[in-house]
Amino acid sequence: MSGIRLDGVSYVYSAGMPYEKKALDNISVEFEDGKMTGIIGHTGSGKSTLVQLLNGLLKPTSGKIYLGGTDIWAEPKKIRSVRFRVGLVMQYPEYQLFDETVRSDIAFGPRNMGLSDAEIKERVVEAARFAGLDESLLDKSPFELSGGQKRRAAIAGVMAMRPEVLVLDEPAAGLDPAGRESVLEGIRRYGRENKATVILVSHSMEDMAEYCDNIVVLSRGQLYLSGKTSDVFRHWEMLTKVGLGVPMITRVAAELRRLGVPMDDDIYTVSGAVANIAAIMAGKEGGSNA
Amino acid sequence: MRDITLGQYYPGNSVLHRADPRAKLVCAILYIAAVFMCRSALAFIVIIAATAVSIALSGIPLRVLLRSMKSLIFIIIFTAFINLFLTTSGELLFRFYFIKIYSKGIINTIVMILRITLLIAGSGVFLTYTTTPIALTDGLEQLLAPLRKLRLPVHEFSMMMTIALRFIPTLVEETDKIMNAQKARGADFGTGSLLSRARALLPILIPLFIAAFRRADELAIAMECRCYHGGEGRTRMNVLHLRTPDFAIMAFCVILCIAAALINTYIPIFTLIG
Repeated sequence: MSGIRLDGVSYVYSAGMPYEKKALDNISVEFEDGKMTGIIGHTGSGKSTLVQLLNGLLKPTSGKIYLGGTDIWAEPKKIRSVRFRVGLVMQYPEYQLFDETVRSDIAFGPRNMGLSDAEIKERVVEAARFAGLDESLLDKSPFELSGGQKRRAAIAGVMAMRPEVLVLDEPAAGLDPAGRESVLEGIRRYGRENKATVILVSHSMEDMAEYCDNIVVLSRGQLYLSGKTSDVFRHWEMLTKVGLGVPMITRVAAELRRLGVPMDDDIYTVSGAVANIAAIMAGKEGGSNA
Repeated sequence: MRDITLGQYYPGNSVLHRADPRAKLVCAILYIAAVFMCRSALAFIVIIAATAVSIALSGIPLRVLLRSMKSLIFIIIFTAFINLFLTTSGELLFRFYFIKIYSKGIINTIVMILRITLLIAGSGVFLTYTTTPIALTDGLEQLLAPLRKLRLPVHEFSMMMTIALRFIPTLVEETDKIMNAQKARGADFGTGSLLSRARALLPILIPLFIAAFRRADELAIAMECRCYHGGEGRTRMNVLHLRTPDFAIMAFCVILCIAAALINTYIPIFTLIG
């Protein structure tokens, strides 16, 4: 199992310069194996720094990051192998495409891993399928694709390495609602089929509620809240205090509760709300009939 | 990559930071002239003292200045060696096969090292450390404004320079991002033969060029949307004003120049070079 965990990690940009900036302060958090964990936080709360620490693009100023029980910086020369195990999709990854065809661009990662041609070929097709990229697009130039298709190609480029931890920084930002759903659905499928740990950074509370099992909340570089999705969203006053919100439906449920409807206090998806209201209605009817 | 600082601007709020960029440009030119006028040890002492005062005024830590020297150490050493071995006047002091060192060579070397160090320190203190690149091009545009009479496109040049400077940090950031994205996919830039290293740059250069063209396009459209049509009749948001401190630092540099010239002519003691 992947077992990725941060232990007292801090990160300071331009240490020692007049514009030195502390981005993360003493973060300790463990990401549950095989589950999807969301990271939320205000702009500048340290989310992007955190994801770059996870695959060793940045080295923590202090503290340790463990992957499968070993410190990833124990042997700095082997950091590249960590990057194959912890796949990172950066923000707006479509700007990293460079190769002549989508196929060879997706194959860039696996090629760097030194895999055989047959293996690479298989992984490219598989990754394209997870990312929701039609096979007919694979032989086009990446620059002929639409914005959404480019995004999928870039995500497939990381999935093709078959990382045991997949980290995505705002993978659905700027996509239309249907595109959003299919990209996130593909990421979920990737996680389930490969038993991979998925870490998702997003600003959309609705997406978080829908897809993530656990949530980590950062505020000003510090760990603010963490736990099961339902537990985190129950603390909605705390979330509002740091400029975050809760899913729209959670607020609707809270408002209904205030008006006297006996709704549960862990509603954070529309389907959950529907089920809850149906149960209440059924209870009422049962009550009036009796 | 993140640590690349163009123009090495060092944030601060000293007299020199606040001074008008035009005044600082004039100062830098006068200062350079003064350094080249120095011919005697006494003149050098005066100018070193003046430089020390300027550094103190600018509030820039010495270690920051020294760091900028570090990148030029090769040029300094190279010039020193050329002067040391290729000067063939004065007394012959040392001889080892074909290597001959003359007294004049040693003096020339010292003068050269002093000059280069002073030039770096002085231009740094007056310009690069205390003036943002944008303020610098603004100042340059206004200083060169009279050349417009000669139909030179001063405004267009300075706009081009401003845009170029403005986009260097953006491109550095972009390069950083693309490099990270490719490193995340296992790209390796540091090892292998020269050819394979050059090839490893392609995944960075291609996205970078595409991004640069895209940005240029967007910028052109954005400028046109705001009715940009060149420099004619254009007013500025930050109008530069020369204030008392600006005249004071310029006067300081003029005095420095005159002093260097006078010392050379009237107090010719410790004359180092002819």
